[in-house]
Amino acid sequence: MADEDRSRVERASLSALFVGFLKVALWSVGGGGGIVFARRLVVEQRRWIGDDEFADILSLCQFMPGPNMVGIAVCIGSRLRGPAGVFAGVAGFTVIPLTISFSFGTWLLRNTDLALLQGILSGVSAASAGLLIGTGLRLLTPQRDRPTALCFAALAFGGLVFTKLPLLAILLGLAPLSVTIAAMAGERTK
Amino acid sequence: MSGPAGSVALTLRLALLSMISFGGFPSVLPDIRNYVVAANGWLTDREFANFFAIAQVLPGPNIILMMSVIGWRVGGIPTAIATALATFGPPCTMYYLAYRLWDRFRDAPWQRIARRGLVPVTIGMIIGGGTVMARAADTNWQSVIVTIIAAALVVRVRVNPLWVLVAAGTAGGLGLL
Repeated sequence: MADEDRSRVERASLSALFVGFLKVALWSVGGGGGIVFARRLVVEQRRWIGDDEFADILSLCQFMPGPNMVGIAVCIGSRLRGPAGVFAGVAGFTVIPLTISFSFGTWLLRNTDLALLQGILSGVSAASAGLLIGTGLRLLTPQRDRPTALCFAALAFGGLVFTKLPLLAILLGLAPLSVTIAAMAGERTK
Repeated sequence: MSGPAGSVALTLRLALLSMISFGGFPSVLPDIRNYVVAANGWLTDREFANFFAIAQVLPGPNIILMMSVIGWRVGGIPTAIATALATFGPPCTMYYLAYRLWDRFRDAPWQRIARRGLVPVTIGMIIGGGTVMARAADTNWQSVIVTIIAAALVVRVRVNPLWVLVAAGTAGGLGLL
């Protein structure tokens, strides 16, 4: 286990983190796409961490304020290479993508037909919603043998989709209950 | 408020909001709109909506991009850089400290229990967030089909999601959606 951890850390060079999160940022169009590409990079392609640990980091980031995607770069950078990894991940995620998109965006705002832009946006946002749903379903796979986990996933889903409650209220309402039940289930299996 | 005073006020406002935007940055967007459109008149409502749309279609961290475009409108390039940093700088520090703390107790029994409890809720919220986005985005049956195909491709095939976005964006740009 310790050996396995070390080899993972060796494989994650600072430049790989920088380039990896640069790609995640460049590809995440349309909001929510960041999770899709971040999972693809760190779990499927680089295999830096598994689906379980990725879901773990997502949970932590969701609790914290701020743009959650940057939080993923911070946590994974820190997990693999410490503070230097944080800087590599965050710099990759922000500097070049923001420079490109800012230049292009301000140019577009002065020169383009916004109807065309709205058309492209409608296609991209329909697809990115689907990509996000699909990624969530993939993350749910390791949980599928735990009825209580599926039940709380369904409650969180329902709370977000069918009520007008703010995200944080749902999180604070369900999380303590879910953790308590997990604790009780843990006692029983021991 | 205008000129440098406006730039400084906007930057400080964003730094504060970024630190209290629990549950994600979109939760404070209404407050930002009130501040830049209603209270200070730096942008029109139309411009605010356009900046949002632009940030969505362009690659990169879109909320940070949107804030830097608002900064640019208020005080040019220096303010654009300041507002971008204000949007992600303070939360990054908080993420780092929280993760260090979490990681230190990685093998503690309470954390394993907390993880078992929290992860399903997070996953439910991701699928729910996608569904909420779909409800806003899917205005006709064609776009519903696009959403379903995109979800199915992620679940079944390891296709690069970029191609899905490019194909859907092209269809939208051609007026098919």
